[in-house]
Amino acid sequence: MSARNPGIPLDLEWVSKVRVNTQAVLKRAQQIPGRNKNKKQWQAAWLLRAVTCIDLTTLAGDDTPGNVHRLCMKASQPVRADLLQSMDMHDKGLTTAAVCVYPSRVADAVKTLKAANSRLPVASVATGFPAGQTPLKTRLEEVRLAVQDGAAEIDIVINRTLALTGQWEAMYAEICQFREACGEAHMKSILAVGELGTFTNVYKASLVAMMAGSDFIKTSTGKEPVNATYPVAIVMVRAIRDYFLRTGHKVGFKPAGGIRTAKESLVWLTLMKEELGDEWLRPHLFRLGASSLLADIERQIYHYVTGHYAAYHEMPMA
Amino acid sequence: MAGSTIKTVYDIFQSMDYGPTSSSTATAQAWLEHQSGALGLFIDGRFVLPAGRQTCSVTDSSGGSVCTTVCATDEDVSLSVSSGASGFKAWSALPCHVRAKTLLGLVSGLQRYGQCLSELCDLAQSPSSFSALVRLLQYYSGWAQLRDTLLPDWTPRGLVAVVVSDDCSLYSLMLKALPALAMGNTVVVIPGVETAIPALLLAQLFVEAGLPAGVLNVVTGNVLSLASTVAQNPLTSYVTYSGNKNDGEKLCRATAGMGVPVSLSISLGATCPFIIFESADIDSAVDGVIETAFKKKRECQWLLCVQESVLDIVVARLKSRMAGMKSVPLQKEGDRRLVDAAVEEAQQQGATLIQPCAPSPSGASYPPTVLCGMAPSCPCVVTPPPGPLLPLLSFRSQTEGVTLGKDNHAVLCDQAQTPTTNTPSLFTLRYFLSVGSVWVNSHSVLDPSLPLSGHKESSNCTDGGKEGLFQFLRPSSSSPSLPRSSPTSLDYSRFGTATSAAIIPQGPDSSSCPRSYLQYVGGKQCKSESGSSVSVLAPDGAVLAYCPDAGRKDVRNAVEAAIKVQPGWMKRSPTDRAQSLFTLAKALEMKRRDLAASLHSQTGLSLEEVDKEVELSIAQLYDWAARCDKETGGILPVPQSGSALSIPEALGVVGVVLPDSSPLLSMVSLLVAAVAMGNAVVMVPSPKNPLPALEFIQVLQSSDIPAGVVNILTGGRDQLTQALANHSVIKAIWYWGSVEGCQYLQHTCASPLKNLWLHCLEEKDGGRVWSQPPPSLLEERWRRAVQWKSVWIPTA
Repeated sequence: MSARNPGIPLDLEWVSKVRVNTQAVLKRAQQIPGRNKNKKQWQAAWLLRAVTCIDLTTLAGDDTPGNVHRLCMKASQPVRADLLQSMDMHDKGLTTAAVCVYPSRVADAVKTLKAANSRLPVASVATGFPAGQTPLKTRLEEVRLAVQDGAAEIDIVINRTLALTGQWEAMYAEICQFREACGEAHMKSILAVGELGTFTNVYKASLVAMMAGSDFIKTSTGKEPVNATYPVAIVMVRAIRDYFLRTGHKVGFKPAGGIRTAKESLVWLTLMKEELGDEWLRPHLFRLGASSLLADIERQIYHYVTGHYAAYHEMPMA
Repeated sequence: MAGSTIKTVYDIFQSMDYGPTSSSTATAQAWLEHQSGALGLFIDGRFVLPAGRQTCSVTDSSGGSVCTTVCATDEDVSLSVSSGASGFKAWSALPCHVRAKTLLGLVSGLQRYGQCLSELCDLAQSPSSFSALVRLLQYYSGWAQLRDTLLPDWTPRGLVAVVVSDDCSLYSLMLKALPALAMGNTVVVIPGVETAIPALLLAQLFVEAGLPAGVLNVVTGNVLSLASTVAQNPLTSYVTYSGNKNDGEKLCRATAGMGVPVSLSISLGATCPFIIFESADIDSAVDGVIETAFKKKRECQWLLCVQESVLDIVVARLKSRMAGMKSVPLQKEGDRRLVDAAVEEAQQQGATLIQPCAPSPSGASYPPTVLCGMAPSCPCVVTPPPGPLLPLLSFRSQTEGVTLGKDNHAVLCDQAQTPTTNTPSLFTLRYFLSVGSVWVNSHSVLDPSLPLSGHKESSNCTDGGKEGLFQFLRPSSSSPSLPRSSPTSLDYSRFGTATSAAIIPQGPDSSSCPRSYLQYVGGKQCKSESGSSVSVLAPDGAVLAYCPDAGRKDVRNAVEAAIKVQPGWMKRSPTDRAQSLFTLAKALEMKRRDLAASLHSQTGLSLEEVDKEVELSIAQLYDWAARCDKETGGILPVPQSGSALSIPEALGVVGVVLPDSSPLLSMVSLLVAAVAMGNAVVMVPSPKNPLPALEFIQVLQSSDIPAGVVNILTGGRDQLTQALANHSVIKAIWYWGSVEGCQYLQHTCASPLKNLWLHCLEEKDGGRVWSQPPPSLLEERWRRAVQWKSVWIPTA
């Protein structure tokens, strides 16, 4: 991974000056899907790039060591080897970006990946995911435990109460503490945009999260009614650009929740390319939080290679 | 494409480039092949391919020939005009709902061949939005349905010629043709090079979808010569033009004196400001800039104006957003040289460039370029060069920002989302920007429901909305105000230069010395600048009085006085203006005896008749005082989100050359119509009957009307007409006079463009127009006195 975002002191004046023109953002979001008209090998290559950016995720009450094991194995060989071979991509070390699990399953995932000689990082959600409505003390402890178990990346949820009531200092202070608890592990801050009300609020929360040292900002937990939408993503990546232009620190972006089709993953890549440029198309600055997306991408690649549309059962299950 | 076979998945996986885009043109090609690659003229519902005509080849973006079109001759034109004229009889006789149904039927025709149309537009390099065309058709079929209900006592003009310049878009063409059809006119379309093929296809598919033959004819060839041939034909009732300024002016000159009204919408080539205030969402604003400013084909030259406090931020964003952009193909052969010269000149004046890459040493494309650090006086701002160049200016305050605003449109980027604090300032800003449409926090949205008139010198008619329909209609009760004629060989440089007959002492025998009247400039009575006078004769030929013989200098003084006070008068609330007009009405009531006496001695009419004329004049004043705050714009329902305001605004200074008939009533009627809507007027009373107007000065002086709003100059009609025509501040001229005068005005007022309302003296029952004006005529008067501005406000 690249240089981390060290964060900066909270700059409330900057935050207060934020303006977002809702209609213009919505219009821009409508145009993005039309920008990418890739076909054939371009589409296949872009889909494979999307695979390398996936945080392959399972966040369910019924997760067991068994299905976490399967997830890890799928993450380290995300596309059928015969398909990769036919595109001459079999020896390029193609894996997803990470696996993402609940804190209690971190140890299982780390164990599986170690046994398989994989250097794939394990990401863990933490801090009272998804609502974040637990005491700060336990939230901090949760982060520490996950790191102890071997998580290399921590997805924290911000305190929406603080964001909605405009207590940016308090939110900044909390995130700083999380960052400290993360230690060497990279920190992704989940803004839960579906619960922030306005675009302006989303922009402000993004700025504060980055000022507090987030390595990534992430749209949502996947558990809110509204998850990753293109307009909200445009607002967030503009905050990322704003932060980069002012401080020189590059912060990554992770949309999550509701991303299920290969087509959507291409739009996400297009959005990043159009708004932030090619550098934000790599896993160190872009992730896709998803679980069922991979299967659809694999089917599209199958179609590219064979000319047939595959049934789901033809793809190895995660 | 050669690269596609070489690039492996892994290469693309690493580079993450976009793949090549290819668009198919198979359907369009099939249609062209069906026409054997040679498109004829579309006359009387079918293609005709007359033998022995010159042809013109249409090329695509790579320079290959797409197909050929015919260059029509006079013979073809007269065929199409007579087809249109006979089509008019049937089409205008249809009941409204049948016409509406026919137009609505065209929508499905359009949808059936949508693919073919958009491919053809691509081939002809005239991109147009299919959905916008559908919206146009649907919108105007609604108006076709409602014409008789909502616009009673208006009649279609007859055969309308729709002329567009070579570079004009299909949308602008249809924005003229469809309302004309909807109102019951028939249309001869004279498309430019780029719109020729799509216009021919549209004509064919409209006829297939049920439009009767002859209602829409398309004649291709040299636009200007065809247009004047069509205008010359006595069956043509109206010529309307959309496109660039140059050709528009030429068209005006070529058709002057033919007795056919010509109106222009200069839809291309204007300089439009894109203003970014410090409170804007800078990212979205920069997005808008990137999207609008660097298109290959753009309808206007954008000028980026940025408030100083956010200049650095905007420049930084522009740099990062433009980084990946590709060079834009230039439109014409010699453009590259012009672009290079303009950039070099700007750099010599200290401009810095923002470019995604260095321009290739030669070739017909140029990278998008922002020229930072320009000033309004720089040549590339004054006369914009072609190519993807965007001059950037900075300004200090909101007021300074809006005074940079110029022509047709403007985009204001200001704080969005919070309609609480800043929006009132936006509403006041719209008064300062003298532009036809203002997009607040959005750009380039168009809808036919919004009236658009050009401000300053960009148009002399209104397109779109209910307001835009009136150019295709005339009041049922009146006949066309211009007689059809052939242009006389008029020496334009000598019109109105003859001097009036000098007055000489008549000898000692005149017992009563005639009174000398003064004219009225800036609220003061004065002599003419030259000091000379002309005599006013009574009906029996005796010298009745002397009045000033005004000339160029007097017009200058009057316009100076008028333009000083007009903005303040316009900004006063309508209720306020109404009160002032009531005082004028009261003042006239007080002085009715004096006015009646002067009318009597001037015209020799009976006392009863003159009393009636004074009474009617008073009634007119009350009528318009009441109208002041009733004729307003409003919020229009548009399909896009947000809302759009449509606001009638005063034109500015209007020159009025008055008729001989009903000297008091005609003057009062026209004066009050113009003034009620916020204009100032410079009036020229009839040289034959000037006394009532000069007597009326007393009334003006005892009213509340601010000094300078009304100015009255007497003298030779031609001399003063010539002076008014050559003053750029005057935005409109309402003229009652000779055929030569009309021809002179049509010729001269092409540049700078003025709104003309022309009438020749020989009108039948001229008196009734003044004494019993039908409602449609009153409506026409107030519509002549305003221009429309639209303001788009997106709401969250």
